Amino acid sequence: MAPPSPTAPIAPVIAAQLQEVLVSLVRRGWPDAEVLMKRGRSRRVELTTCTETSAFTQEQAWAVRAGHHRGSLFAAGTGEPRPDGPWPDPTGRAVRIPEPVPVPVWNEPSDFDAPLIGEREGLKLLESLGKELTAELPKARLLHAALEDGSSESDLANSRGLRARTRSRVATLYLEAAGPGRPDGHQTPTATLYLSAREARKFHPPALARRLADRLAVIAQGGPPEHDTGDMLLAPPVASRLLCGLLPLLVGPKAATAMSGLRDHRGRIGSPHLTLIDNGRLAGGAFESSIDGEGMPTREVLLIDQGFFRQPLLTWWQSETASGAPSGCTRRAGWRDLPVPGPTHLYLKPDPKIPVASLLGAVTQGYYLIDVTGGPHFDLTENRFALPVCGFAVQSGRATAPVAGAWLCGKISQLLQNIVGIGRDLAFHPLNGMIGSPTLLVTGLELRKG
Amino acid sequence: MPFSELDTAAVARTLSQIAEKPEDVVDAYFERREEMELPPDDEGPGLRSWREEGFAIRLVRDGKTWLATRDVVDGRPFAEAVRQVARALPSATYPEPALRPGPVLPSAAPELLDFPGAVTRAVRNHHVGFPVRITVRRHRRWVQVVGPRLVPGPEAETFYSVTAEMAWGRHGALFARLDAAAAESVAAATVALFRARQAHPPDLFEGAAVLAPAAVAVLLHEAVAHALEADVLARGGNPELAVGVPMAAATVDVLDDPSAAPEGVRRTTDDEGAPVLRRWLLRGGVVEQPLADALWARTSPVLVPGAGRRGTRHLPPGPRSSHLELLAGDTEDADLMAGEDSKAPALYLPEASRGTLDPLSGAFALHLPFARRLRNGTLAETVGPCVLRGRVADLLTRVAAIGRTSVAAGAGWCAKGGQKMPVWATAPMLRLEGVTVTPDGTLA
Repeated sequence: MAPPSPTAPIAPVIAAQLQEVLVSLVRRGWPDAEVLMKRGRSRRVELTTCTETSAFTQEQAWAVRAGHHRGSLFAAGTGEPRPDGPWPDPTGRAVRIPEPVPVPVWNEPSDFDAPLIGEREGLKLLESLGKELTAELPKARLLHAALEDGSSESDLANSRGLRARTRSRVATLYLEAAGPGRPDGHQTPTATLYLSAREARKFHPPALARRLADRLAVIAQGGPPEHDTGDMLLAPPVASRLLCGLLPLLVGPKAATAMSGLRDHRGRIGSPHLTLIDNGRLAGGAFESSIDGEGMPTREVLLIDQGFFRQPLLTWWQSETASGAPSGCTRRAGWRDLPVPGPTHLYLKPDPKIPVASLLGAVTQGYYLIDVTGGPHFDLTENRFALPVCGFAVQSGRATAPVAGAWLCGKISQLLQNIVGIGRDLAFHPLNGMIGSPTLLVTGLELRKG
Repeated sequence: MPFSELDTAAVARTLSQIAEKPEDVVDAYFERREEMELPPDDEGPGLRSWREEGFAIRLVRDGKTWLATRDVVDGRPFAEAVRQVARALPSATYPEPALRPGPVLPSAAPELLDFPGAVTRAVRNHHVGFPVRITVRRHRRWVQVVGPRLVPGPEAETFYSVTAEMAWGRHGALFARLDAAAAESVAAATVALFRARQAHPPDLFEGAAVLAPAAVAVLLHEAVAHALEADVLARGGNPELAVGVPMAAATVDVLDDPSAAPEGVRRTTDDEGAPVLRRWLLRGGVVEQPLADALWARTSPVLVPGAGRRGTRHLPPGPRSSHLELLAGDTEDADLMAGEDSKAPALYLPEASRGTLDPLSGAFALHLPFARRLRNGTLAETVGPCVLRGRVADLLTRVAAIGRTSVAAGAGWCAKGGQKMPVWATAPMLRLEGVTVTPDGTLA
């Protein structure tokens, strides 16, 4: 049996194509050159109130970055790259290409080879979601459901000798539902969900229908408090969205400076419950890979350790001028996109001993906020945030009334410092990368009428 | 033209094999796109180019759509894709037509290189100076649609998008030509944002609002065009029931006419190969002809195709507007600003950054980066970011007067359903009475 390898070998035909394009670029006087070739396929099924769509897509594309010390270019296209271009003239800043570095051993997940979901299977999944939703909440209906399941292979080569091949497998699900109207007849409540998993078969219709139904019922029956404080129990969708808003404090060489303003007198930026990790190799993660978008090794990076800030996410070139080790955090959203720094699987470390029920039981007076109902406002310079939410008012560990149309507001420093409990129910959401959090119990925040 | 040597007759013959029922919609959509971008000076890499071509085969039957797409234009993948959408004989093999797209053009866009400098000079002409990061992109698209019976002519589009980023705001615009007028338009917008950078949002405002043509364009797009798309109407019921419903003041006439769009983006057929038409969305404030594509036109005789648009070959088309026109009224601009009662509170809304519409509730929001108070018919102090809110059915009945001078009202991107498309507009100024404007983004 062959030992596990960090990345799969590039097929000889593709390796020859990559080499031919690289040689052509270097001969033009562009010593810094990189070529990416990507092939992908996806199945998309979609239901609306009146239509049904099934699409099968095969993509084949490439991207080139090249240049010299006086300028650079980016070119991308479908099909296969041609050594003779045509290429735009290099302008602007120079591009930097990484040297190859050893990639630690990694076992490619077996589900990368799982077949894409079939047309009938996908439509059946969406239809069952609609039925489950109506069973959970009579008169609720799916307005729009779209399921996409795809896989791809990327081959990367650069003029410094780096050669790498990666595979990817990811599915997304978008759901939009309407519930029964509010008692005042004022407005039909709607709710949306956007989820990602490694393959489409991992979506669980009954659980998703329950989540949609809960949110629709809360929006239909709930109202906001004028202004209230208390313990705030933040479910994973709420906590993940808050974490996503803090990304400028966590990515890049300026992050450490920005974070320093949040330190208390002991040097902590968060409570001892706060441990924040990014891991491009997270087992089972939607973007699990041994290398990042530039071919650099991914790894588990400890960003905040029990409230103490350790380092931001840094690419190989950012780590040359900032304090911290390179994180392997360059992402390529697709062949059309330039590589940019960002999280892959960023998450708050859960406490495996704490069930959500025990956190809820600890709330004497406060709110259990189950979902986000709109876009957030984050003002990092003014240390403030506001997030539209829905959920329940809680007294002595019991839900007493639904809450909707409310904004969770407060200082970012309070959010980080006042985490008093953390659950075990870690869940990821496709935001800016996969952002994950378990349920959090936080004090000192406010709930206001929107 | 990239698809001038396509054997469209052979493509049509192949497609005719999968159109089994008379009401089936079957088509092949060939597309080539080319984009060139010049990023800001401080951003590498420099000049950027994207080139893509491919096709989509589509079959629509009984409200169901099957689509197969490829990133290459060649006979074998074409035959494979036809087999994937065919319903009767999925295992059959289909002929491989000769598909030879035209040559790739050189990657050059010299007009992009001069534009940032032209904007900087235009800003200085306003007697101010501040750093602006300019991104300018040229968009080109060539489309050939082939059906089993009809082969419409090829279509081509060229336009430019510009983004100006400053510490205090961002301005984006689309232009059919990248000329001195475009540079001055971007400069004027950035100077206005600069001068409004420290303005405080207004308190809750109720009164009259005078919308400049650029803001009218966004209002029309969200409150009229999106609201009258057949797929949006279907979320609330039967789309054909919208026809004949009063939706706006009797003075409001709104059309969608892709054939009257600026030169470079003008169309004679839509992205399904159907002829475009001068479509009266609202005549005398009453809904006359909702936006429909081939799929929705099959559901009702009152829905007429010709508004099918695609943001990408990888997704099916949908009913969308292309070029909206609000017909001019009979009020002078000065009278719009003054209104009937010069003492009543009024705001002037020069431009909108974006708009949103909740299709189920009809709740509408027009986000404004800044506004000006109107006092005695003249522009007074500037107020900061705010939102014009209302419900479509109510808001459009509040149109009190329409200006008599229609102008090209700018354009923007529409990203409904994840399909990003350019939309254009021609509009005069407009006065709304009794509207509500709230501060934007101050909850935190």
